[in-house]
Formats: sequence, C-alpha cells, structure tokens
Amino acid sequence: MDTSQYLDIFLDESKEHLQNLSDQIMELEQNPENMDTINEIFRAAHSLKGMAGTMGYKRMQTLTHDMENVFSEVRNGTFKVQPGMIDILFKSLDALEEYVNNIQQTTEEGTNDNQDLINALNSILKNNGQVIAEGSAPEADSGAASGSTETSVSDGGNAKRERWQEIKISDTEKMLVDKAYKDGLKVYGVTVYVEEACVLKAARAFLVFKALEKLGEIIVSAPTAQDIEDEKFDLTFSLIFISGNAADEIKDAVKSVSEIEDAFCAEYSAAAKSAEPEKIAESRPVEAAKPAVAAPPPKAASTSAPVPAAKPAVAAQAPSSSTKPAAKPVVNRTVRVDIEKLDNLMNLVSELIIAKNSLISATAAAEENKGDNGSVNEQIEYLESVTTNLHESVMKVRMVPIESVVAKFPRMIRDLSKKLGKKMELYMSGEDTELDRTVVDEIGDPLMHMLRNSADHGLEPNDVRVANGKPEVGSIFLDAYQDGNNVVIEVRDDGGGINVEAVRSKAIERGTVTPEQAETMTEKEIIDLLFLPSFSTAKKVSDVSGRGVGLDVVKSKIESLSGEVEVKNRFGEGSSWIIRLPLTLAIIQALMVVIGDEKYAIALGSIQTIEDVLPEDIKLVQAKEVIHIRGTVIPIIRMDKVLEIPPRGDEDNKNKNLTVIIVKKGDKQAGLVVDELIGQQEVVIKSMGKYIKVPKMISGATILGNGEVALILDTNALI
Amino acid sequence: MNEVKVMDEQKRDVSLNRPVKHDTTQFIVTQLGGEQYGIDIKYISNIIRMSKITRVPKVPNYIKGVINVRGVVIPTISLRLKMGLPEDVVTKKTRIIILTLEQHESIGVLVDEVKEVVTLDEEHIERMGYEKDEKERYLSGVGKADGKLISLLDITSVLAEVVDV
Repeated sequence: MDTSQYLDIFLDESKEHLQNLSDQIMELEQNPENMDTINEIFRAAHSLKGMAGTMGYKRMQTLTHDMENVFSEVRNGTFKVQPGMIDILFKSLDALEEYVNNIQQTTEEGTNDNQDLINALNSILKNNGQVIAEGSAPEADSGAASGSTETSVSDGGNAKRERWQEIKISDTEKMLVDKAYKDGLKVYGVTVYVEEACVLKAARAFLVFKALEKLGEIIVSAPTAQDIEDEKFDLTFSLIFISGNAADEIKDAVKSVSEIEDAFCAEYSAAAKSAEPEKIAESRPVEAAKPAVAAPPPKAASTSAPVPAAKPAVAAQAPSSSTKPAAKPVVNRTVRVDIEKLDNLMNLVSELIIAKNSLISATAAAEENKGDNGSVNEQIEYLESVTTNLHESVMKVRMVPIESVVAKFPRMIRDLSKKLGKKMELYMSGEDTELDRTVVDEIGDPLMHMLRNSADHGLEPNDVRVANGKPEVGSIFLDAYQDGNNVVIEVRDDGGGINVEAVRSKAIERGTVTPEQAETMTEKEIIDLLFLPSFSTAKKVSDVSGRGVGLDVVKSKIESLSGEVEVKNRFGEGSSWIIRLPLTLAIIQALMVVIGDEKYAIALGSIQTIEDVLPEDIKLVQAKEVIHIRGTVIPIIRMDKVLEIPPRGDEDNKNKNLTVIIVKKGDKQAGLVVDELIGQQEVVIKSMGKYIKVPKMISGATILGNGEVALILDTNALI
Repeated sequence: MNEVKVMDEQKRDVSLNRPVKHDTTQFIVTQLGGEQYGIDIKYISNIIRMSKITRVPKVPNYIKGVINVRGVVIPTISLRLKMGLPEDVVTKKTRIIILTLEQHESIGVLVDEVKEVVTLDEEHIERMGYEKDEKERYLSGVGKADGKLISLLDITSVLAEVVDV
C-alpha cells in the first residue's frame, strides 16, 4: 500500500500524540495513582503504535509496543509507577521523537533499534515495575534531553573517528596543500565534535572557525561553511587546515571553545594524500555496511551521511545504503485550522460574491438613469467591509496558539532540575495566546534559552534560598498575553535577580566600558550590556548556560521578528524578561505621513500622541533639539534629515507649526517631525527582497491604494 | 496595468519561425547609452514600463528604489549607474526588466530601451577571456547578430555585487 499520501497526517498526529504522552507522563510523575492519566497514556501509546505499524515504521512500532506493554500492566494494577520508570519512559519518548524527526527529514525512520531502551522496558515488565540500577540513577539522565544520548555514547567508540579523512579535496585545494608544504607550513585534518546538549551549534562552529583562522587558513570543510552556518550539520564537522603551528596547539585552540566535546587533529600527510582515493574507496563499503549490520544510532548514521552527500562523486563510487538527509524536510509545513475559522472564511467568500453581484446590478442600474451613483457607492462600501473582514479572517487562520512551542518546556525544566540539582517548578499561563505561525516557529529557541538562563543563573541553589527565607523550591513563570497589537511573553523567576554591580565590574574587567563610563551608567544601561555578544556573568561555565553566546542571539532573534526584549530586575527578588512581539508580521495598523514629497507608514502601536508644536517651543539641550510636553523633555528627530529627503521649498514653512509624532520604545520617547499627516490605514507588510539591504530604520514596505510603494518606518531603530 | 507582454509573444514568434537549436541562447537586446546589451532570456520574468519608483534612503546610488509589480515589492537598480554610465533619463522608451534568478527573489533593472529578441548560436558568441578589465567585469561575452555587436551581460555577476553591498 502506498502510504506516502498519509505522511503529513501521520507526522502531525504523531507529534500530537508524543506531546500528549509527554504531558501525561509528567502528570503521572506528580500523581502516580491517577487512573485517568494512565488510561490516557495507554490510549495515546496505542494509537501511536497503530499508526506507526500502518505506515510501516517497524522500529517505531516495536518501541511503542513495549511502552504500551508497560502502561498496560500499570493500568491493570500489576505494579505501580516508579520514578526510575518515568525516566525510561521519557527516554523512550525522546527516541520516538527522533524517529518522527527522521521521518520528517527523509521519510525513513532511521536505523536505530534503541535496543537498550526496549530491554529496559522489558526488564520493568519482568521485575514487576522494579527498575534495575542503571536506569534509576539520575546520572543516566546526563548529557542532553535527547534519548539516544546513551546509545550514541556507548557506540561512540567507533562513531568518533577522524572524519576529516573522508574529505575529498579538489585539484585547486590540492595545489594549495602542495604549496603549503613547499612554504614549510603544515597541513592538518581537523574533526570537531560539538556537545550534544549544545543549542547554538552554528555559533560554536563559527567560534571554532574564528579560533582556527587566527592560527592559519582553512582550505575546505565538510559540510560546507555555508551549511555549517545554517546549522545543517549534526554534531560534527571536519576541515583541512594549513598552519605553521603544532597539532596540539590547534587542538587546544578548538577545545578552548566551550561546548566542544572533542577535537581530533592530525597531519594531513603527503602519504595520506596520495593514498586518499583508495582509502576512501576502502572505507566506504565498511561505512555503508555498518548501518545495516551494526545498526548504529541514527545520530551516527546521519552524521556520516552529509559527507557522501556533500561529495556526490564519492558517494557514486560506493553504493551507500545510508539515506541522504534532505536539506529541507520532505513534508510541507502545515497549520491546523479550527473548523470555525474556515466556516467564517467560507461565509465571507459567499458574501463577497453577493457583493460583486450587487455591484454589477447597481452599475447596470446606474447606467440606465445616468448620474445617480448612490447605490454603486453603497455597494462599494459593502464590498469594502467584506474584504476587510475577509482579510482579518485569513490572518486569523495563520495564527496558532503558542502552546505548540511552550508545551515542551515543563519537560525541559524537569530535566534541568535534575541536572542542576535544584528544585524548581515551572508555572505557565496564557498558552492559548495566538501568534502568527511564522513567529511561533521562531520563538521556541529564544524562550528555551531564557528559561535555561532563569533555571541556571536566576534561581539560587536550594540551600541559599532557604537561608534567604525563600521557599526551597524555586519558581519560574512563563506568562503570555495579548496587549494591544502586541503579544507579550514574560519569563520570570523568583531567584536572586541580576547583580548589577557584578555586571558593572565584569564590564570594566572585560574592557567593555571604562571605569568612568561605568560610573555614570544607569542600572538599565548596565543590564543592556548583558545582551552584548560574549558577555556572561556566570562564574562558572556550566552545561546549561553561561557561555556568553546566548542573550545576544536571543535579542537579535527577537528583533528579527520585529519584537523587543526588556528586563525588569529586583535584586534579591528575581528578574523578569519580557518579550514583546507583534501580533502578526503580515499586517499592521499604520499612520501614513508625508515627509518632503515621500510617503511613509509608521506603526500605530508605537505612536503615543501627535502634537502641534510652535517652532519657538523647540529648545536646544546639549546641542540637541528637544520639546517640553506635559512635564517631559522629549528629543525630536527631523525625519527629512534622517531620511535624506530634500526639505520642502516653500518659504512660509519656516514659521509654520511643526507636526510632531511622539513615539515610544519601552520608557523612552522621541518626537518625529513630519510634514503632513495622511491618516490611519491598515497596511500589509511586504518584504523588500534580498537584493536590497535597507537601513535599520526601514522595517519593510507596503503597497498603497494607487499601486505606489511606501516604506514603513521602524521607530524602534530611531530612538 | 502598464505591463507589456513583449516577452511571451516574441518567444512564441521565435519558436514558430525558427526552431530553437540545442546550443543556442536567446537574449533580449536592450539599449544602454550608445551600446546594445543582451540579457539571457531565461532570467527575465517580465518587462514593464517605467512606473513610480519609491526611493529608499541610505542605499548605494545605483539602487533606484523599490517598485510594485503585481503586489510584490521589487528593488530596482540602474544598469547605467552600475556600469559607470551617466544617470538615466526617463523617456517613453524606458523599461524596467524584471529578472528572477531564484524563486521569489526578483530585481528590476532600468534600461533605456528594449529592442528585440535575438537567438545566438554558441559559435556567434565570443566568450570573454579570463582576465577582464573594469568595464568588462559584468560581461560574459560579445555576440554577433546581423552585423551588430551585442555585449552579453553576465547578470549573476552584476547582481552578486548588489547582494554584497
């Protein structure tokens, strides 16, 4: 049976079931006796098994089957739920997720049998719910949230090889190598392994490249530099590198980058070079045979795959059985839509057709008795209201609740809590807050990072908390809510808060600011330093956070979504990180203005008031123009200067009142001087394409009613 | 709207009258100053009349701004300024050629005039040597058609630099 047409549905539903399972198992951990939860788990596992079986994913089916057996016994009351059992169940879930991800990438489930997990599950059955030693120790949970951690580590012996030997060099690169030898330099092959728990692999790889570039020149890398930058690699990458330094120095340089698990470096010798073709031909069949025979974890299988994939010539030589991970998931992204939203759309479309028909008859009528356009205008107004509603409905279809992203966090906090040895609870609210699908897809990583930050740096160790008179268990809150045209997501903890003085001294120590500068900086400015690249105050770098790369990435990610991050800090009581995101990226309410003879749109959300200002009310403070409005001094920005628009010629302009739009960003304000106001309008934001690099103050473009393009000003960049 | 369906008709014309041989390339010939430049037809998705270009502040001078083509905002560059020729003078014949190099990524190119479509055999194209001087940087070769010489633009290299900016 051809099941490919059901792949979309399968993936969608599997993910739903997995999430459901994860939620329910968390619940089970809290209330091991709850029969409803157990039944729910059993049902979800059973459906998952059935689906996997129908689709022909045997390994996935086997694993779910064994999980189901365990649940079934729990349901029958043969034995009770144990903490160690929960750990194994979670690991099995991770393994299932791995299968689903593989299927999404390649339509194959991968070659990992997860035999040890199956054994562990079966031993639970055999021992009536008792978990034997290995599984129960929290240590077993080490490393990452990924379930195949252990399997890949135990297999790690042969998986970790000097993969650089698989790099095939082209003639030009060969020339470079020969030249290097002539120049008395050495050529090395380097293979770098990134830690599995690493969140920002591309950033790590970048740091490695940077460190190496200090020592010499990188000739070629596998996967390609572009792919590495796009994070299209697994946990390892290799490169050929020319340098005058010794192998150990290079190795140390690579290892000095945090979260690098291991690095291999050896001379890319002349012998190896000449023997290369045969060597590859030899090693290839072994390599290809391995997935079939030994069935290493999919991790290893997919790491080896990019190499042949990147070098089609090599891959062609050996009939490799490993599947090539496609750059893009084979399945299109989908949005599941509430049927009510669709009904609404359908109704609007019917209305649209009616409106069109009335318009036709109205024009016909108008032609008969010339001059009377009343009914035509009426119909146009009707049409207008229908299109506006239609637009809104289509936008709503794109909106999905953030639940799909935040649902995995309770599990993450649970794992972190074990790993860090701190007791903590995550409280979430507003999971049903809706955001544009594109935003929801992007927001996961920054949120995860902020939660990790709170768990690691924010919350104090349990004993310190007790000493400070706080409850032993730390609390992290994740609240989402809609605020006007924005969605606010707040990550809050009741930990120690940011020690502003520590940041200040750290900044001085690092040379980020001079001691004099630091003296005059406000608390807010100091906190903003945290968002600078490679600035971390964590005294010791841990697995979880404190690597310095992080907050700056969070910030730039949020900003790329036209959002912003704000920090509220109460030292000793905790801190909250507030992300503000536009409700949707596609459409905004805007104020249209004229500057010179050009039209611009300003997002209504950022506008506070519009003031009519007499030219003499503008005062100079420190050579900057400001106005005084209702007790606040607001700097003003001449938009024609900023946008390089030739000022209007008319002379009387000089003495005319100025139209000043007061915009706000957080608690900062600025007044933008424009020439004319056109009015409020709903504008559709269009991207300007990659062939034009627009200045930061332009956030996009929109098309006006007459077909002209108007640019949208990003007031945040101006303040 | 003010779009001209030049391309489709001419394409059909050509394919009807002379069957396209395998190693031939079709070029749209445009006038730029005193010279004629050919652009490979496979990159061209549309040719439109001059429309209102919205200036974008703080970009290199050869980027004229953005235009609206069927609801898509497309940046537009001046080939004249890019090639070091004097500034464009907009006439009735001025056209914007919409080039699409990859899906969903288009760019408009301002030219003085669009002349015709020529089909060139590989043997009528003289490829540029490896060493190119400043002016020849954007050319992939010179084509000969009916006794005229047409400089063939290497559009990818013109645009590669635009992206880099």
